[in-house]
Amino acid sequence: MRAARTAYPLKWRIMDALEDVAAAIWPARFRRATPYLMLLPAVLLVGLLALGLIQIADTSLRTLDTTTFQFSDDYSITNFRRALTEPLFLVVAQRSLIAALIVTAVTLVFAFPYAYLMVRTRSPGLRKFLLIALFLPFFIGQVVRAYGWLIILGNQGMVNEALGLVGVAPMRLIYNYPAVLFGLVQYMLPFAVLMLAPALTAIPEELEAAAGSLGANWVRTFIHVVLPLARPGFIGAGVVVLTLSLTDFAVPAILGGGSQDFIANAIYDQFFRTSDQGLGATLALMLVALGSILVGLVFALFGAGTLAMGRSRA
Amino acid sequence: MKRFKPTLSHLSRRTFLQATAALGGASALGLRGAYAQEPEKPAEIIVRAWGGSWVDSLKAGVSDSFTKMTGIAVRHDLTEDNEIQPKVWAAVAQNRVPPIHINWDTTTNATKSALRGVTEDLSDLPNLANVTDLAKPAGLEGFPIVNTYGYVYVLAYRPEAFPDGPPKSWKDLLDPKFKGRLAFYNDGIGFHFPAQVAGGGKLEDIPGNMQPAWDFITKMKAQQPLLGEDPDFTTWFQNGEIDAACTISTNAREARKNGVKIEWVVPEEGAKFDTDGLWIPKGLPENELYWAKQYINHALTKEAQQVWLDGLGLPGVVPGLTPPKDLVGDPSYPTTEADFQRLIRISSKIQVENESEWFSKFKAIMQG
Repeated sequence: MRAARTAYPLKWRIMDALEDVAAAIWPARFRRATPYLMLLPAVLLVGLLALGLIQIADTSLRTLDTTTFQFSDDYSITNFRRALTEPLFLVVAQRSLIAALIVTAVTLVFAFPYAYLMVRTRSPGLRKFLLIALFLPFFIGQVVRAYGWLIILGNQGMVNEALGLVGVAPMRLIYNYPAVLFGLVQYMLPFAVLMLAPALTAIPEELEAAAGSLGANWVRTFIHVVLPLARPGFIGAGVVVLTLSLTDFAVPAILGGGSQDFIANAIYDQFFRTSDQGLGATLALMLVALGSILVGLVFALFGAGTLAMGRSRA
Repeated sequence: MKRFKPTLSHLSRRTFLQATAALGGASALGLRGAYAQEPEKPAEIIVRAWGGSWVDSLKAGVSDSFTKMTGIAVRHDLTEDNEIQPKVWAAVAQNRVPPIHINWDTTTNATKSALRGVTEDLSDLPNLANVTDLAKPAGLEGFPIVNTYGYVYVLAYRPEAFPDGPPKSWKDLLDPKFKGRLAFYNDGIGFHFPAQVAGGGKLEDIPGNMQPAWDFITKMKAQQPLLGEDPDFTTWFQNGEIDAACTISTNAREARKNGVKIEWVVPEEGAKFDTDGLWIPKGLPENELYWAKQYINHALTKEAQQVWLDGLGLPGVVPGLTPPKDLVGDPSYPTTEADFQRLIRISSKIQVENESEWFSKFKAIMQG
């Protein structure tokens, strides 16, 4: 009895049973379709998003009757006309787009040295410190971080108090466009570092050593070796930061003092402040379109970077 | 609908006490023929409310005493009024039970819901017999909403910033020394109408010609004001971020209670007077609808109004209320005809139909 158990252990029997169950659910003749089965979660996810977009598209074509607060039964492009002609929406769209571009550029500049040091350092202690510092912000929500800046940069905040010690009068450091950009860069930095680090890890250190041995100083090595090879990381990080910044809501709302709205804030206003879900849906669709065009443009010009999982043109 | 109707054969001590308590409570609530017809009590009713001192006052004045009388717990849902609205509308449209029993709402927002047809009629509340005209929503059939108090969008200010005395006009805020030191609601609510007067226009021209208001708001934009919501004003005053604001007097009073030196005035151009109210969304089970109505009925008793509105510092809709000591003779607590003449009141219908356009216009100026 004992010998038989040794020859065919219990865990093997369990595995056999599981295989039988799997064969009953998914017979061998379906095996060629197995890869497609793996796509099912993605199809479900994208399908739900597509259904949502169809619903939003439907709503965007209906206008609000402010005598009954019901939406029209018939379709019209009134909301699109308003979105494209009213100065408010143009100003907000322009502000969001410019902010997204500035934040992306500045974040990548700050993220690169951080990621490079984290990947290349010989000190395990320093690497751990950088990793902890990188992940710590993820445990603190975006809203809490933005409020943290209010405490630090407010009129009676730490910075103004420190300035007061040297005789500088309190100055308005928040509730303006630069404060929103600053908050967004601080929020986006960990995302960018996380996207850059794998690309930098993939660059063999020997290449940099070889460039040095051939007479290149660190600047030339950096420009001609490291930067080109890190391009997939820059593209991946850039796309993530660009789209997240473009669609952000909390940072402009909290650090902008109400006068630095982004598109997401305008969408919120239409849905929840004026009850005009039709116009809100229109703005939401236009934001999706703008983000998609930007990402498509980046992919067309530079490839998908790390987002292509090794299949990039880079 | 289940009914609470104990028979003599099942009358235990506990049942007797429950029935007696219910009868006592029903009498206090002014219910007609409540005994033996009282529907089953829900475990709780959910009242949407604003946070901070707003919900504290409601709890102290209305909710706690309602629970004491009926045994029904009251849960306060602090979802923003603007955010609960689409949820309630969707629930009614889909024949679902709405997420709240009672919505404490601005009259303008509530009027939108009434026009959409998602509000229950409250005309049968017994205590409506004892309220002033302020309780009746203007321009609507019956009582889809009951207004419960009025409030004034005052000019609140820090006295240190006005060493020559209180501001007399909204135009005083255009002084360059207040650049970056002012605050308004982020949709301009409360400021559109005084701006119309301050800009040289007439209130009779609203909504047809509000160009004077937009011109004055454009001048104010150059002062780079902060734009926010109710809690922001209190915080900004406390943190020394602003010197003056157009805000509901309750927020200014709250900041003063927290130790901030703050005063308020109704400037010579006037200040907007508006109301908030309570309403019940359609789609509740009948017994829950009954108790939700009793909650609103209770909110219209003199005792409940006195405590609730003492907390808010606002004038109620029941005659004979005593103003809080710190607000006797205060312009934000109007009680006489002369007080009301200094205030600007525009009908809810005009506000509802034009609010979206006014908000967009204000935003376009301030975001530009």
